[in-house]
Amino acid sequence: MILTKEEQEMLEGKKGPGMQRAMDLLVKLCKAHDVEKTVKASYGHAPYDFVPEDFWELITEGVEPVMKVTTHPSYQPEFWIEWGIAGKNVDKIMVEHQKKLKKIRQLRWLRTDTCAEYLLGIIPRKGEIVPMHGSCMQIANNSLYGARVDRAGAFCTLASCITGRVPLMGLMLPENRYAHILFQVEGLNITNWTSAHYSCLGYYIGSKVTGQKNVAVTGLPNDLPFDFARALVLPMPASGAVTLCHIVGTTPEAPSQEVAFGGKEPEQILKIGKKEMRDTWERLNMHKDSIVEHVAFGCPHSTIDEIGEIAAMLEGNKLKVPLLIGASIPVESLARVQGYADTIERSGGHFLSCCPSISNPFVRADFAGKNRVKRVAVDSARASHYLAGVAGADTFFGTREECIKAAISGRWEGGKYEG
Amino acid sequence: MKVNACTVCEGKAEGEAVVCNGSFSFLGDLNPSTGEISIPGHKLEGKSVADKVLIFTYGKGSSGGPRIAWLAKRNGMAPSAMICLESEPVMSCSVIAANIPTVHKPEKNIFNLINAGDYVRVDATAGIIEIIKKNSS
Repeated sequence: MILTKEEQEMLEGKKGPGMQRAMDLLVKLCKAHDVEKTVKASYGHAPYDFVPEDFWELITEGVEPVMKVTTHPSYQPEFWIEWGIAGKNVDKIMVEHQKKLKKIRQLRWLRTDTCAEYLLGIIPRKGEIVPMHGSCMQIANNSLYGARVDRAGAFCTLASCITGRVPLMGLMLPENRYAHILFQVEGLNITNWTSAHYSCLGYYIGSKVTGQKNVAVTGLPNDLPFDFARALVLPMPASGAVTLCHIVGTTPEAPSQEVAFGGKEPEQILKIGKKEMRDTWERLNMHKDSIVEHVAFGCPHSTIDEIGEIAAMLEGNKLKVPLLIGASIPVESLARVQGYADTIERSGGHFLSCCPSISNPFVRADFAGKNRVKRVAVDSARASHYLAGVAGADTFFGTREECIKAAISGRWEGGKYEG
Repeated sequence: MKVNACTVCEGKAEGEAVVCNGSFSFLGDLNPSTGEISIPGHKLEGKSVADKVLIFTYGKGSSGGPRIAWLAKRNGMAPSAMICLESEPVMSCSVIAANIPTVHKPEKNIFNLINAGDYVRVDATAGIIEIIKKNSS
């Protein structure tokens, strides 16, 4: 393996023990995959609350920052206490959380605490190398912006954020970025589709892909609105292992099917029609009765437009069940300036810059203790997947409007797939 | 019997073989507190892999895998060694960070050679798998 002088110094411990451990991890990964060298990243996106405390301390020990690093959603346990929903573990979680925040300030990392930092203007250029934690960040930056983001384990991403280096492998290499499998959307009336519909479509696509394959989607209008394009690609790494999806006519590496496939024929062509959509919509509804105890939006973190729509629907209504909106603090601040946050909070809604699916404080048994709720309505396929799989909840999947109605009535009246 | 393979994470370890004829992810497939396989309905569900040699086809799953591997190792509930047909970046990151000796790309079909309960020695540094059949003396 070829190491630069600086990388060699990192590996020998001349830049401190944390840097040494991080470089050692990357070098071993390179050796396991016959990778010759690492490349420099522009900036990175790191996990923190999710990282075991002892590993966190080892890998950040004595580290001086080498590049800009942003952070993935936090747990924000201080709000669980404020809202009276915290279980007995909260004190322990709080101590660890505070310690990590102190370290993040020392490292001068940006506490974006979001899974959608492109909404804050932190956007990669096409071809820019940006190691990212979280499959949601990986697929969004890869697909929607054409950045180079590989599928990587959380600790290796953390090591890349610390060293500023990424193994030159996988999706870092242009020749590995072409699509392998083609999905053709046919015979669907998409005129009235909402982001829930695109989310359902993406969930189906991810579930049909085994192994690490890139996909392309045709049959959708050109220049799909950002919110729809995002809703489409985000569920793919939850139901499968897709890290790059080209939406032909929309995403930067897919001006045409031919370009998306690098001039080659697809390895496989799959068609998607009403039956696939209906079945997937039904599969995302994993509930026994129609009682809803909680509504969660913001998987991925909500845009200001989504929050505006939610506020408009909630105006003058009182919620029967708690509603959580996962959003970054800057987007929440804008919602406050606009008056949306007031409307939502007056109805009984909450904002949190956590992951509303995997670390939802209303649903996770180890966070909420005996206060936990078990029946959750969502408008995101990714949310339904993780709330059921990781948090063991019953999930209701439907449009944003159906979720708002459920938050007001406490009952699910959502329909089947139409369109 | 000896089979050559490639190193994913260096080290030497041995133990009874647990054969999972499918792909494996630490996140979702292993309970790091008990060391038990936690895939609902899987034939190995509830079977402990702690201090055993886990054999599977491919790595899979979300980027959170290394956290579970690390916790399992800290709890003394991780496999002593692992063998797979081909690792991928998340699996490699998991075993390297948690320091679980692991090899992949074995030269022979290990699923024909190793049965559950056989005793297996893995020298992941040298890239050698040694199989001691359950019935042989």
